[in-house]
Amino acid sequence: MTEAMVPAPSEDVPAFVRADGPDKVTGSGRYTADITLTGMLAAKFRYAGVSHARITRLDVEPARAIPGVFAVITADDVPDVEFSYGIADRRLFAKDVVRFEGEVLAAVAALTPELAQQAADAIIFEYDELQVVTDLEAALADSSPLVHDDLDAYTITGDTPHGGNVATHSSITVGDAGAARESADVVVSSRYVADASHAVPIEPRAVVAQWEGDKVTVYTSTQVPFDARNGVCETLELPASRVRVIVPHLGGGFGGKCGFHYEAHIAALSRAAGRPVKLVFSRWEEFVAPDRRREGMIIDVTTSMAADGTIVAREADILVDNGAYIADASFFAQAAAMHVAGPYRIPNVRIDSKLIYTNHQPSGSVRAPTAPQGCWASELHTDELAAAVGLDPLEFRRRNIVRTGDVGPSGQTYEEIGLEQCLELASTSAGWGRDLPDDEALGVGIGWWPSFGAPAGAYMKMHGDGSAQIITGANECGTGSVMTLRMLAADEIGIDPSAIELIYQDTAVAPVGPGASGSQTLFNHGRAVEGAARQIADQLRDLAADHLEANADDIVLADGKASVAGSPAIAVDISELAATAASGELLLGKGNAEIRDWPTLSGSSCLGEQGFSSFLAPQFFCHVSRVRVDRDTGVARVLEVHTAHDSGTILNPMAAHGQIEGGVMMGVGQALTEGTRHGDDARQLNPALLEYKLQTIADAPSIHTQFVEIFTPNAGPKGSKGLAEAPNVPTAASVGNAIAAVIGKPVRRLPMTAERVWEAVEGLDQPDSSTDATTYTGGAQ
Amino acid sequence: MSFTIATSLDDALAALADGARPIAGGTDLVVGARQGKDPLPQNLVAIDRLGELARVEVTDSEIRIGAGVTHAQLMVDASVVDHCTAIADAAALVGSPATRNVGTLGGNVMNGSPAMDTGAPLVVLGATAELRTASATRTVALDELWTGPGQTSAQPGELCTALVMPARPATSGSAYVRLEYRRTMEIAVVGAAASVTLASDGAIESLRVALTAVAPTILEVTGLDDLSGSTVDDGLLASVAERASGQATPITDLRASDRYRSKMIGVMARRAVEAAAMRARGEAVAVPVNRATGVGAAE
Ligand SMILES: Cc1cc2nc3c(=O)[nH]c(=O)nc-3n(C[C@H](O)[C@H](O)[C@H](O)COP(=O)(O)OP(=O)(O)OC[C@H]3O[C@@H](n4cnc5c(N)ncnc54)[C@H](O)[C@@H]3O)c2cc1C
Repeated sequence: MTEAMVPAPSEDVPAFVRADGPDKVTGSGRYTADITLTGMLAAKFRYAGVSHARITRLDVEPARAIPGVFAVITADDVPDVEFSYGIADRRLFAKDVVRFEGEVLAAVAALTPELAQQAADAIIFEYDELQVVTDLEAALADSSPLVHDDLDAYTITGDTPHGGNVATHSSITVGDAGAARESADVVVSSRYVADASHAVPIEPRAVVAQWEGDKVTVYTSTQVPFDARNGVCETLELPASRVRVIVPHLGGGFGGKCGFHYEAHIAALSRAAGRPVKLVFSRWEEFVAPDRRREGMIIDVTTSMAADGTIVAREADILVDNGAYIADASFFAQAAAMHVAGPYRIPNVRIDSKLIYTNHQPSGSVRAPTAPQGCWASELHTDELAAAVGLDPLEFRRRNIVRTGDVGPSGQTYEEIGLEQCLELASTSAGWGRDLPDDEALGVGIGWWPSFGAPAGAYMKMHGDGSAQIITGANECGTGSVMTLRMLAADEIGIDPSAIELIYQDTAVAPVGPGASGSQTLFNHGRAVEGAARQIADQLRDLAADHLEANADDIVLADGKASVAGSPAIAVDISELAATAASGELLLGKGNAEIRDWPTLSGSSCLGEQGFSSFLAPQFFCHVSRVRVDRDTGVARVLEVHTAHDSGTILNPMAAHGQIEGGVMMGVGQALTEGTRHGDDARQLNPALLEYKLQTIADAPSIHTQFVEIFTPNAGPKGSKGLAEAPNVPTAASVGNAIAAVIGKPVRRLPMTAERVWEAVEGLDQPDSSTDATTYTGGAQ
Repeated sequence: MSFTIATSLDDALAALADGARPIAGGTDLVVGARQGKDPLPQNLVAIDRLGELARVEVTDSEIRIGAGVTHAQLMVDASVVDHCTAIADAAALVGSPATRNVGTLGGNVMNGSPAMDTGAPLVVLGATAELRTASATRTVALDELWTGPGQTSAQPGELCTALVMPARPATSGSAYVRLEYRRTMEIAVVGAAASVTLASDGAIESLRVALTAVAPTILEVTGLDDLSGSTVDDGLLASVAERASGQATPITDLRASDRYRSKMIGVMARRAVEAAAMRARGEAVAVPVNRATGVGAAE
C-alpha cells in the first residue's frame, strides 16, 4: 500500500491558500447583491405559481401602468429560442404552457424591489389547469398525462431513447443477470426511495446587468461564467464578443449555481428598461425557481449471490425525477445506474434507469448528481446482502469490491485504484468491531466518482518585478481550489505562490473553462495553468541560460532563483530576468488542458450512452459513521465520521480537508433532515429554511480524514484527482447503515427522518412510501 | 408610525395607553412581520431597556421572573435553575445564542404560540401572569391568558410585567424535554414539562404535566391526582405517557404526522417526569435535560 497521511490542516497552512478568506470573513468582500450602479432598477419575476397549465391570458399592461415601472417583458419580448443541454425543451419565459410552479412568466424592472413586486403581482395571468405528473411510477403509464406533448418536436442531441414522460433511458447490460439469478444461492431484493433535496447556498442568487452601447456586462452569482455567457448569447442571439460575465465573490453554490439561469432575463430586462437592473432572489425563490436541485429517485435493486457472499448478478430499475425541464440532467439516468451498480465486481448486470419528466422543479447538477442517493441505496442494500449470507459488512465488501486490475460492473478495467485501502483505513480509524453503547453503531459506505475532461485554457504573465498573474476561467465557489492554481504555477516557475495573483471569474479576459463544476478545477483548469506556467518557465530558462552562460536544459527554477543544476551558486534572481524581459520579449504563457477521453469498456452493452458508463481517473472512498439512535423517537445523531479518500495526490491539504468536512455535513443533512416534500399539486411544501432543515454546526460530527495518495494514470496535475463532490457521496450511506445496525433494519426512505426511523422501529408501514419488504431466498428461486 | 424607546415602566405604560404595541426582543414580532404573518404594528414601544422587567426575585412565598428576562439569563440564573429548573431547560433550547440573547420570557408568553417552550414549564410550576396598564394591575392564570394559537386575553394597553410562581417544597423538581430533529435552531414538534413534589417516603405528593405543540394552546394533562402516593417507576411513567398521548390533539403538518406526535408526546412526558423526579430526589440532571442524557447529550 502506498497510502500516506496528510498533515492536519492546522499545520503550516500557507496564508495565501485562501486569498479570498479575509474578505469574506471581515465583510469587505463584495457579492453580486452588493453591487449598486447609477440609475439601477430592481427586478422581480412573476412566476406561474401553478404546476401545469395552459396559458389563456397574460396581460402585463396593469404592471406597465404603475408609475416607477420601467419595463415589463415576457416571451414576446425576447427571441423565440428553445434551449438546454441534450433536449432543448425550454425558453426563458413560459409560452403557451407552464410546467412547474417556479416557471418565469414575466420580468419587471422598477425603481424599488417593492414596486417591482407590486407590478409583478398586478400582471393578469389566466390559465386552464392541466393534470399534473408527480408520481414517477404513474408517469410511465400509457394513460399518464404528458409533461411535454411531443419531445421529438425539440432539438435533441445524442441518441438516448426517450418518449412519453421518459426524458432519457440508459441501461447497463453485462452477461445474463436473469440466468445468474436463477442459479444463485441467495437473492435479495430491496426498494429505496429518495426525496429531492436542495443545494441551499447561503447566498441566494443575484444578477446585475448593464448595457453600454450594444454590449452587456452581467454580474452574476454563477459557478460557471462561460455557461452563463453562452446562455445569454444563445437565448438573446448575441455574439460572444458582446456579452461579458463577471462573477463577484460567490456565496456558495454546491452545484446549484451551475448552468445558465437568469442572466439573459436580466440582460433583456435591462435593455428594455434602458438602465442597469438588479435581481436578488429571496430564499423562497432560491428553493422554487432554479432548474438545479437534487433529484428524487426510486431504486429497485436485486442482487444474486453465491452462498459465500460472492456477488454473481445485479438487476436494478431506477426512476429519476427530472422535473419539468431537462436542465443539465440528461446524463442522470446513466450516472444513477453506475452508482446503484457501485464499485463492485459484478459479472452479470442488468440495470435500467429512466429520467422521468414530472411537473416538479427541474433537477440539475447538485454536488455529485445522483450519486449520494444511488450510493445510499446500493450500500444499504449491500449491508442487507451481507446479513443475508451472515457476513460482517466489511468482510462482505472485501470479498466483492473492485481492486486494481479488476473489471467493474460496466466492463471498465481499473488501473491503479485505492478503494481497498480506503475501506481498511476508514474502518480501522473508526475502530470497526469495537464495543459501543447499545444505542450506537458504526455504518460503512463506499463509493466512486469520476473526473471529467473538459476544454480549459489559461494565460499567465510575469511582470517586470517578478510577480505574476494567472488568468483563468476557473471559478471560486468556496472550495478554495482556485487558490491551488497558484501553487501549481509557482512550482513551475520557481517563485513564491503569494507573488502570483489570480485573475478569474471574468469571461472577457479569461480563456474558456468549465468553471466550478464537476470537481474539475484542478483536473482541467490546473492542467491549463501548468501549461501556461511551463511556457513562462521555458522563457525564464532561456533568459537564465543566456545570463549564466549555461544550457537552458540545466537551469533549475526554485526559491525565486534560476540556477544551474548541480551548481546552486551560479544563479540569478528570477526578478532580474523578469526585468530584462520587461524591456524586450515579454514573459507570456498560455496553456490548454488536453481533453481526456473516457476509458473504453469491454463486454458490456449500454443503451443511451451519456459518457457516464466508464469513469475517467475515478476517485474512490469509504466513510464510516458512528451514529446514536434514540429508538423511542427515531432521532439519529451522527457522532463521528471517519473518511478515507483516494483522490490521488493531495496538493492543498487545507482545502482538501475543507472539502471533506463540507461534503460530510451536506451528506449528514441529506441523510437525516433535508428533503423536499410535494403536495398533490406538485408544488413544494417546504421551500423555506424553517421546514427544510439543514444541519447546523451544533450537529456536526467529529470528522477524521485520511488520504490514499496512490498514483493514478490519466490523473490531473501531479497525480491529483477531483475531491469536491466525492465526500458528499457515501455519507448518507454510512449513516444509513449505522442506523440500520442500531435498529436492526434499514430505513428505506431518504432523508431518514426521525419519524421514518421511528416507523421502521415500530414496523409501521410508512404512509408516504410504498416500500416492499426485502425478500431473502435461500437457494435457487 | 412611531417607535418609542421606553426608559421607565411608566413611559412604556403611557405609550401602550396611547395604542403602541410592546416590542421586547422582537424575535417573534419582527421575524413574523418579515415572513408576512402580521405586518409590523404602526406604533411600537421598545421595552428591552427596562431594568424593572429584567429581574428575578425570590421570596419565601414566591419567585417572580420579570417579563423582560431573556432566555440567555433564564438558562443560567441560579434562582431560576434552582426553583424553576424546567424554565431553564426550556430557555436553553430556544433558537440559537442570538435568539436567546434578545428573546424574552414575556415575549414568549405573550406571543401565545402553542409551540412556545417556556409555556409548559410555567404551567406545571403554577405560574400566573402579571398584567399592568397605566392605571391597574391584574393577575391572570395562564389557562385564561392563552385563548388560541397566537391569541391571548390581554387587553390592548396591558403589559405583561412578570410571571409569578409559588415557592415549592425542597423535595420538588421540574423538567422540560423537547423532541428535536437537530441540536439548535429547532422548533418544538412536541415537548413536555413536569413538576413533581415527593413525600418523605419518596412517593409522589403532587405531579403536574403540561404539553407543548399538541393542542391550540399549551395543554395541561388532567386527571393525574390518582397518581399521588405512587412511586415513580416504570408503571407510573407508562401511565403518564398514555394519558399525555390520549389527551393530546395534535395535527399533521410538515414537521410530523399526528400519529407520530401522539406517540412522541407520551415519550416526552415520560422523560420529563423521570427527570423532574430525579431532581426532586436531589439527583443531578444538568440543564437542559435534552443535553444531559440520550441522543442529544454531549459526547
Ligand atoms: C431563529 C429563532 C428561533 C426561535 N426558537 C424558539 C424556540 O426554540 N422556542 C421558542 O419558544 N421560541 C422560539 N423562537 C421565538 C421567539 O424567539 C420567542 O418566542 C421569544 O421568547 C420571543 O420573545 P421576544 O422578546 O423576542 O418577543 P417579541 O417578538 O418582542 O414579542 C412577541 C410578542 O409579544 C408581545 N410582547 C412582548 N413582550 C411583551 C410584554 N412584556 N407584555 C405584553 N406583550 C409583550 C409583542 O408585542 C409581540 O406580540 C424563535 C425565534 C427565532 C427568530
